[in-house]
Amino acid sequence: MKAVIIGNGAASLAAIRSFRKYDKKSSITVISKEGGNAYSRVLLPYVLRGKLSYEKLFLPFSDKLDSLGVTYIEDEVLSVDDAESVLKLGKHGDLFYDTLLIASGSKALWPPIKGICQPGIYHLWTINDLNRLQIEFSEKKEVVIIGSGFVSLQAAWAACSRGLKVTLIEIADRLMPLVLDVRGSGLMAEQMSKFGVNVYTSTITEEISKREDGKFFILLRDKENILADFIIVGAGVGANIDFLKDSAIEFARTIPVDNYMLTNVLNVFAAGDVAAGPSVFGDEHVTHALWPTAVEMGKIAGANMAGQNIRYDGSLNMNVTQMFDVTVASMGKFNDADIDDYYVYDAESGKGYCKLCYKDGLIVGICLVGTSEAVSLLGKLRPIIRNRLAVKLPPAKLDAFLNVRFFQK
Amino acid sequence: MKVITLDTSKCVGCRNCELACAFINSKETCERKFSMIRVNHYIEEHAVIPMTCLHCEDPWCMAVCPSGAITRDPETNAVIIQDEKCAGCKMCILACPYGNIHFDAELMVSHKCNLCEGNPRCVGHCISGALNFEEIEDFNERSRKKVDLEISKYMKQTCKTQEVDSNGK
Amino acid sequence: MGNKKKVKTTCRMCGTLCGITAHIEDNKVVEIEGNPDHIFSKGRICIKGSSAATWLNLPDRIYKPLKKNIKGDFEEIELEQAMEEIAAKLLELQNKYGNNAIGFWKGEGIDFEQQEGLYRRLAHAVGTPNYFSNDTQCYASRHIAFYLVYGCWPLADYANANLIINWGTNAPISHSHWTQAINEGREKGAKLIIIDTRYTEIARQADIYVQIRPGTDGALAWGIIREMIKRNEIDHDFVDKFTVGYDKVVEYAKSFTPEYVAEITAISPAVIHQIVDEITKARPRLASWVGCGIEHQINGVNNIRAITMIDALAGATDRKGGMRTPMGFNLPDLTLYEKKPLLELDPIGAKRFPVIYEMRHECHTLMLMDQILSGKPYPFKGLVMSAANPVLTNANSGKVTKALSALDLFVVKDLFLTETARMADYVIPAASYLEREEMFFNGAMRAGFITGKYLDYGLQTEYEFVKELAERMGAGEYFPWKDDHELNEWILKPTGYTTEDLHTAPGGFIFGDNPTEKHYQKAASGEKMFDTPTGKVEFYSMYLEAKNIPGIDALPQYHPPYYLAQPDPEYPFLLSTGARKQKYFHGRYRNIPQLYKAEPNGHLEMHPDDAKALGLKNGDRVRVTSRIDSFDTIVQVMHEKEIFKGSMQHTHGFVNENVNNITYDDVYDPISGFPVFKSIQVKVEKIDK
Repeated sequence: MKAVIIGNGAASLAAIRSFRKYDKKSSITVISKEGGNAYSRVLLPYVLRGKLSYEKLFLPFSDKLDSLGVTYIEDEVLSVDDAESVLKLGKHGDLFYDTLLIASGSKALWPPIKGICQPGIYHLWTINDLNRLQIEFSEKKEVVIIGSGFVSLQAAWAACSRGLKVTLIEIADRLMPLVLDVRGSGLMAEQMSKFGVNVYTSTITEEISKREDGKFFILLRDKENILADFIIVGAGVGANIDFLKDSAIEFARTIPVDNYMLTNVLNVFAAGDVAAGPSVFGDEHVTHALWPTAVEMGKIAGANMAGQNIRYDGSLNMNVTQMFDVTVASMGKFNDADIDDYYVYDAESGKGYCKLCYKDGLIVGICLVGTSEAVSLLGKLRPIIRNRLAVKLPPAKLDAFLNVRFFQK
Repeated sequence: MKVITLDTSKCVGCRNCELACAFINSKETCERKFSMIRVNHYIEEHAVIPMTCLHCEDPWCMAVCPSGAITRDPETNAVIIQDEKCAGCKMCILACPYGNIHFDAELMVSHKCNLCEGNPRCVGHCISGALNFEEIEDFNERSRKKVDLEISKYMKQTCKTQEVDSNGK
Repeated sequence: MGNKKKVKTTCRMCGTLCGITAHIEDNKVVEIEGNPDHIFSKGRICIKGSSAATWLNLPDRIYKPLKKNIKGDFEEIELEQAMEEIAAKLLELQNKYGNNAIGFWKGEGIDFEQQEGLYRRLAHAVGTPNYFSNDTQCYASRHIAFYLVYGCWPLADYANANLIINWGTNAPISHSHWTQAINEGREKGAKLIIIDTRYTEIARQADIYVQIRPGTDGALAWGIIREMIKRNEIDHDFVDKFTVGYDKVVEYAKSFTPEYVAEITAISPAVIHQIVDEITKARPRLASWVGCGIEHQINGVNNIRAITMIDALAGATDRKGGMRTPMGFNLPDLTLYEKKPLLELDPIGAKRFPVIYEMRHECHTLMLMDQILSGKPYPFKGLVMSAANPVLTNANSGKVTKALSALDLFVVKDLFLTETARMADYVIPAASYLEREEMFFNGAMRAGFITGKYLDYGLQTEYEFVKELAERMGAGEYFPWKDDHELNEWILKPTGYTTEDLHTAPGGFIFGDNPTEKHYQKAASGEKMFDTPTGKVEFYSMYLEAKNIPGIDALPQYHPPYYLAQPDPEYPFLLSTGARKQKYFHGRYRNIPQLYKAEPNGHLEMHPDDAKALGLKNGDRVRVTSRIDSFDTIVQVMHEKEIFKGSMQHTHGFVNENVNNITYDDVYDPISGFPVFKSIQVKVEKIDK
């Protein structure tokens, strides 16, 4: 059997490991557009901040691909002929597969702002972005960050840690809506201000232009304009699936997959940022574009490509990082529209701002702007949320319950 | 492979394990925050729960670590974190369903039990016998014996009751 | 260089004496682990045990004798000079004030078993009857109580018991290896009952936890006895053949109805019935133990006697899973009480507390302080103390400090400059337990243990110190053995074994079996069955009856504790002290940095309702005052189940929060002379930080 995987990110590596667990013999071919060894996208901000050295970006597993019987092809996939089970590659011609995994990941998108596409304006999404930003960070003084997603804030923290003057512009009325609830966003904004970051929310960027002195001039609607030496933009991501255009593989913004990571085509799987799979909350097709979800999906896909029949019980969104001296983390549903009850731990709990969220009597999520110790509560809650277990205890007793529970199995 | 087993029916929460763990890790203090094993006493629940890394067969922390800092020590079978590779992203803390990964706020890296390279000090300091470092088969054997004892006691009890019944007739 | 070895020996960081493996490199201990071959600690040790690897190497350890100069600073001197001067001064004091004007105090810090015998021998050899130890504050009350009833110090056979009852004792902290034995018993099905005013660590695994009003355990014991008699759950065969005074027990127990006992003890009749139900199911396999929680009351000895009577009535005496009696080793006695009793020299405390003197030959440390200060009935001027820290651990620290400063000669032998050593005129460096050969024996397990000189810093062993002092004071004839090794060989001789034999099993050398129910065999062969005056288990003591001292009862009657007998509205709360922390042993080990960092302060542990009434929360600073004095400390609010409402606990041994500043040194158990560490009446006020 010939297994082919498009992409070499988190989902791809998890799939390879998992595939090899069940099938030691069949060939695996990995096709990657981005050259070089597989690296960890989520670590880019840590390298930028100087917390982690550059070489630590590369996954140790990636240089062992040979020993796992993986053939690596650096090339672009032009199209998929699903009827014949053949990939058309840019340089390497046709490649036949018995089973295919699309794990080609996503790319950062440019927002519709006039003047956004010019040198000196970056994403923080690829190793190339990192390389170029490293130069800017060491040479320049003022950065404007447009967007306030997870990566944008990490970029802001990196810049701030390295002594740059940082301004953050967010079009919405609060920061990180996918990671934090309203109060958490507010706390985060306060915390960033303490570190000297200028935070602009509800702010529309009209146009970016470069002045003769090399500085960027950023025109804001109804607000005073600002200047910057360079700009980092975080405005969401889109799946790398252009090559699916002429195939029968169903897709929209991402590729819908079932609980087995299977697309509508019988021998084609998808996982990671390109895939829209089931969630633990019963959604049929959700794309998180998150590292842990990619790992989980890849694991399922790899096993099933090797002939297993393992069912994914759905993804659960989770985020965590440390920035501006607080730990930011969340899991599941925490925005007021998605929940019907919540509990905020008091100061004595030592957790910081920690909100436990309920819907229909079940714990459905949690969000945190607080201490590292509190993160373990999220970890312990994961199986509770995943398995939709009812906990009929006051939240203050939850920690005790979660620890005792383990031994009662 | 040997694992640390935890018997909640014996733990009294004396915390000698925590003190020893904190010292072997920090080399200078027994403060609890430096300990990888944590004992919690829940008085209302009448429960004392010692918790330390179980070195899972299929560790989710290891799978999810984006920097490949979590590996398995081939000698001890311990799931270990390499400080120098850890980015401090806390993904592993979020991943662990038992709360057994902790954060070193000074080094800004995750920390966990590494089985003290095959000589776990927590076990050597467990004066109650609740912690053991043993082959998992031995643990299972002990557990089986415990259940057998329960059954035999139950049987005795039932037989006694029956005797009384028959005498009563 | 690079000389590495691992030695198996015994820990002496506390009196529990667990087995250890010490890793030694270049004459330095680098790590200490449990010795898996040890017969009772089985490879497990507490944090004190392993922290010794830090403690023994601390830079401020004393390796040279120190002498205080006129300015009050210590100067290093040679050992020879120190010994000469100390001996000369002791002789001078004896000549000037009388032979009994000096004394020797064996501390809790470093000894195993012989050290005690050696200091007792030394005192009498040089002509003074004044030997002291902490045993007049701890342990000896139980010794007296057990000996009065059984004539021995029994061992609770937890591992084989059907029911384990612990009264005011917390094995995990104070006798760590018993926790293993208790759990072994529980694993085989034993039930565990914990009777304590505090919900201690061991209570967390209890089947029944009984929170008793402090100091009323005797009433509960009598309530249990009454109920056992009523249900006829008495081992009549044992009682008839091997005990005296049962009829008096029956008579006295009558008034202790569950309702009456409930009123005294705050334990409901239902719980009393429950306890007796468990005793009924379990007996004779009843293993119980009494801790120092019981001894520090005016009724301590009697309460303990009443409690131990339960075991005998249930037939647990020397039964498997019950209360095992020890067998002797036929070892020679180091003391000179027979050859040279010196009673005419009026051992301090012997007249006031004859029972503890006659049964334990302990002079009274609290009376010593008064005598130093008053010079009455005779002057006391010189004291030699080995590894004790009474400045922190004796009742009424203020008086202790005053008294020790008033001495003409004060010598302390220790590893560090403790609070007490700082007051000394001479400080002699002591050899640790890894630096000398000493033995100890466990009669119930019939096991002997030996340590060795595994490290050598050229320091005097305890024996060498005692011998050299005696020689210089003209009493060298009493110490003919060259060194401690030779002494040990002499001690072992009657057993037919040698130190070499003991060294083959540092985790416990077994001398033989200790069969159960030895009293039946002894009765058959006409031997004395129990080491009491009648040879029987004595519920009623003719010995005590003969004493005819108020408060000393031949039958262990129940008397209310001091704080209930003499309530003082000015001091509305009850303070108890003496509960240890797992990191420390009384006044010791605050100088181990890793332990101190984890617990630098003492805390006043209190019930949440009391905290509320006083307007206190965790971390608040308070002043605690008794009629003796005050001290300042930090509040720790416990869970409502963890401590008896109205009572508070404060651990001793913290320099900055020294609870002994306020403990009574003038209220005693009339039998043992023990101070009432668990009956201190106090008031508590919040103070600014």
